[in-house]
Amino acid sequence: MSMPVSSLDELTLGKGARLDELVDREALTELARNFADLHGVGIRVFDVHGRLAAEAGREGPLYDYLRGLRAARHELERATQLIKSLDPDSSGEAEAECATGGRFAVFAVENDGRRVGRVVMGPYFTPELTALPPALHQAEPEIDRAKVAELLGAVKRLDRHDAMRFGRYFVKTLDLILFSGYRALLTSNMHLASVRESYRDLEDKNAKLQIAYDRLKELDRLKSNFLATVSHELRTPLTSIIGYSEMLAEGIAGEMNEEQRDFVQTIREKGEQLLQLIKGLLDLSKLESGTMSMRKQAVQVPPLLEDVIETMTPSAKKKGITLGLEVDHDMCELYGDLERLRQVLLNLVENALKFTPTGGCVSLGGRMTTMESKTGADGGLVLLGARRPAIELTVADSGIGIPPAERERVFDAFYQVDSSSTREQGGTGLGLSIVKRLVDSHDGTVRIEDNQPRGTLFVITLPVKRASIAP
Amino acid sequence: MQIDFVNRELTIKLVYYGPALSGKTSNLQALHRVADASASGRLMTLETKDDRTLFFDLLPLTFRSQGGLAVRIKVFTVPGQVIHASTRRLVVQGADGVAFIADSRVSETENNAESFMDLKENLKQHGMVLKQMPLVIQFNKRDLPEVRSDQEIAELAGQGREPVYLAVAPRGQGVVECFVGLLHLTWSALDAEHDLNRKFGFDSNAFLAQVAGKLGEKRGLPELLRASVGGALEVLRPEAAPA
Repeated sequence: MSMPVSSLDELTLGKGARLDELVDREALTELARNFADLHGVGIRVFDVHGRLAAEAGREGPLYDYLRGLRAARHELERATQLIKSLDPDSSGEAEAECATGGRFAVFAVENDGRRVGRVVMGPYFTPELTALPPALHQAEPEIDRAKVAELLGAVKRLDRHDAMRFGRYFVKTLDLILFSGYRALLTSNMHLASVRESYRDLEDKNAKLQIAYDRLKELDRLKSNFLATVSHELRTPLTSIIGYSEMLAEGIAGEMNEEQRDFVQTIREKGEQLLQLIKGLLDLSKLESGTMSMRKQAVQVPPLLEDVIETMTPSAKKKGITLGLEVDHDMCELYGDLERLRQVLLNLVENALKFTPTGGCVSLGGRMTTMESKTGADGGLVLLGARRPAIELTVADSGIGIPPAERERVFDAFYQVDSSSTREQGGTGLGLSIVKRLVDSHDGTVRIEDNQPRGTLFVITLPVKRASIAP
Repeated sequence: MQIDFVNRELTIKLVYYGPALSGKTSNLQALHRVADASASGRLMTLETKDDRTLFFDLLPLTFRSQGGLAVRIKVFTVPGQVIHASTRRLVVQGADGVAFIADSRVSETENNAESFMDLKENLKQHGMVLKQMPLVIQFNKRDLPEVRSDQEIAELAGQGREPVYLAVAPRGQGVVECFVGLLHLTWSALDAEHDLNRKFGFDSNAFLAQVAGKLGEKRGLPELLRASVGGALEVLRPEAAPA
């Protein structure tokens, strides 16, 4: 049975609760039945609109007999109407006598100071009653006096004082049940209302977060655009600066002395550095905006690694660092952008050389491994999460190392482990963020581990596409 | 407030607000203890856990004026714990008057202030303004050590708008005074807005005296109303407003 739910204010301030909201009809009937069984008196509970909510107890053979007689039945029905309309006074009680001389009592049922219903108890017969009232005999001459005397003799008698006590006790019990019901009703209403209110709160917060998120995304896009534009605008004049200083150095505009050549050389070197930085910025913004175009092809890994070693050997020699290569020659080919992969490795080796002191060593490695697919995490893991063949590229150094807490953040753009203005190592903090994004665009992963006995180990894992898995 | 013109019945909602464990429930219990059985219903406490109020306590009081108007007063508490913010907001909705129960201890000063700001915010969410809300403040737990001094409270109360009461709720000290003060302010505000005294032929002073009597109060109304420290009980009465 569905009932309209009353609001908290309606329940506590306004119209109050209904009888059927406060007590279960079946339970109420059971209570009434227990009363009727115990005291041998019928009892009915009506709601505030006069609708029957529960009843128990039979009127008995006397009433059955009288109802069989037309005029007597009429008298009984008239009495019933009278009792039905009986309204308890301010004491909460009212009494009436039925046509048979049987007695009825009516009790008000209240909850939270408001009338919610009535209890009608009866009919019961006091010990004093020995015969039917003369009025009934007058109205119905056909009553068999001997039979009535017999039936009346068999009726259970109840003292009026006791009967009223029993009735009051019933109403008090009902009152407690109603109070408990009221309390439970308020509690569940409060629970519902609280949950609704909390939900509304969360919705508000979500909406605010969404707005903030959208704004940030827009800002991020603007930033990338800005970087791309600025990098491009910077590159154009810089190319001229480098070009003209090259021409000067080559003596196209006349011979220069040693000192002049030195100065021009410095201008050219710094210009190149600046150009690299701007290229990095441009790459980053392209990667972020997703406009970096990849030219993917089959890549042989060992030659790639050898090429990187070759390129970096002069810098390593200059700093007195040993450069090593450890490569598994049975490796299958990789499907990727050769130039971008080279850039990744050069970046990492350059970085390793920068943070490794003279006399240290940096080594590059490549081997076959397996990796877990990321796609199975949200379902179907057993199908999608199988370990797939992959190629692992490592760059190890014996430098200062990266503390574990910093290992996630070094891949953020412009992040420096040592960000003080007096830090020993230069750099823009762009290199690793570009590495990370390039590896991402190859569906790979990059992580940092400790190198033994000291230093950092960068591990790049790149999946081998199915078509190219070695037999 | 809800008016039932047919049954000549008026229901007023008073809310006892304040930080956790400041004694809101104790106030209601004390009122329930002293209230005449004919005027007070059962004190209802919704779901207590560790002696703390989860939703609210509800004390129904009913008074019948000589003019035949039945005034039902529902006194609610709110759950003080910070996490029950949404419940507090629900309970304070539609309040006609608020008693703010503060913990007198110096260490609780911050919590009191926070809870008060919370009240202000929650009223605002319902489109109500704290400034227009009939409000009394009770400094409870005066019997504990390290409380804010009488002098300090009196000085600040003298500058403020709200009547301030000093109380020891479990002993009933200051509880009835605070309640009567709140009822007085609330009735004055409702009367100013709805012209209740004229419409119902109601005598608010006689009514207040009757309420105080039913709460076992022997003192006269003027004396009761003088029990506050500072504040202005008359500020909301229309006849006290500057011409």
